[in-house]
Amino acid sequence: MVSTMAKSSFKQIQIGGVVTCVPPLEKCIDDEVDLFGGNEKQIARLKKTIGLNRRRVVEPGTTAADLCEAAARRLLNATSLEPEAIDAVIFVTQTPDYSQPCNAAVLHGRLDLPKSCAALDVNLGCSGYVYGLWLAHMMVSAGGCERVLLLAGDTISRIVNPRDRSVAPLFGDGGSATLIQRSKCQSTAWFSLETDGKGFDALIVPAGGQRTPSSVETQAEVTDEGGNVRSAENLFMNGAEIFNFSITEEPKAVRDLVEYAGLDLDAVDYFVFHQSNRYILSNIAKRLKIDLAKVPMRTVERYGNQSSASIPSALCGELQDVLCGAKTQRVLLSGFGVGLSWASVILDMAKLPICEIIESAPSE
Amino acid sequence: MSLAKFIENFEEAVEDIEPGSLTATTKYRELEAWDSLAFLTVIAMIDAEYDVRIKGDVLKNCETLEALYAQVSA
Repeated sequence: MVSTMAKSSFKQIQIGGVVTCVPPLEKCIDDEVDLFGGNEKQIARLKKTIGLNRRRVVEPGTTAADLCEAAARRLLNATSLEPEAIDAVIFVTQTPDYSQPCNAAVLHGRLDLPKSCAALDVNLGCSGYVYGLWLAHMMVSAGGCERVLLLAGDTISRIVNPRDRSVAPLFGDGGSATLIQRSKCQSTAWFSLETDGKGFDALIVPAGGQRTPSSVETQAEVTDEGGNVRSAENLFMNGAEIFNFSITEEPKAVRDLVEYAGLDLDAVDYFVFHQSNRYILSNIAKRLKIDLAKVPMRTVERYGNQSSASIPSALCGELQDVLCGAKTQRVLLSGFGVGLSWASVILDMAKLPICEIIESAPSE
Repeated sequence: MSLAKFIENFEEAVEDIEPGSLTATTKYRELEAWDSLAFLTVIAMIDAEYDVRIKGDVLKNCETLEALYAQVSA
């Protein structure tokens, strides 16, 4: 019996293009020997197994809103759409320009979107892109929207402590824009979404919000027993808990969704997971017994863990040729992490007019 | 399941450890090879070989391999 979860299906809605924008500045773990106390053997292990290598980081003055704006302009240009054509904009981010107003409203103004356009943010990370796709599908399905612009991006590099080995080398920045539109295609999109809020503190910025407002104490740096330095306003990750959660829930969620869709795993052409690290993805893929050739996992070593932008980044960076090609690809997208939250979708993609990674201009 | 086999599995799970170099009284958290990656690979090994979801705190608080083994087989 399939477990109950927020499952839904939609017809005649398609992704009409994806663009991911990365900042030009690249950092490499080989240059961070000091952070690892000179331990080059450890760096070699992390490169080989976790897949840490290069990542892109913004310079002060560039935000996720900027990266997504660049991606959106490229997307609208490539699809020959005027701003008036957009009926809703969703911005998925955990690193907005302001605590208010939302990034979607800010981008609405910068992109000259019409007054008739709905705009809202979604405060999710790893699972956020799939949640955004789900919301977009519902908006189109309900009848009010022909085209939804989904923006998803984060600058996590700005909220980790540079002397925290457990997170600093992992996270890169990125911003994406995806078009979701009504279409005549007959294929179905199947979604499932789940949460475990009891794990809220496994991946958290503990202070700086309303629960524990910013103060001298919350900004004080503390060294943990592993020698990692962070303040209460930096991102904290309980690696063991996130790992356990990922290898337990992800395979289950994938199998349940495939069953809900009336398919089997072989019917899926590509499994695009949130690109957290290669070790977790290999582990999940092995548990599911799926062909590793169907599982893109090179994005972390090139761009880092890009939070809400990681799935679109993997689509643009690793599957550009097949998704722009004529042959329909059935892909399963699955994001899992902060919340704890996880969401998966099976949908068809083909003949994308654009599916590419672009670079933003350097900050002024 | 035996302690000897557990030690063997541990040696195989963690990178840069010589097979046969560890004992029951090895303080595994003091090994040169013990890092955040070793942490994850041991969690994965314990789950795959013993079907046990070991908590991070247990791994952080045990001293020796036999103490860790006792937690896993409990």
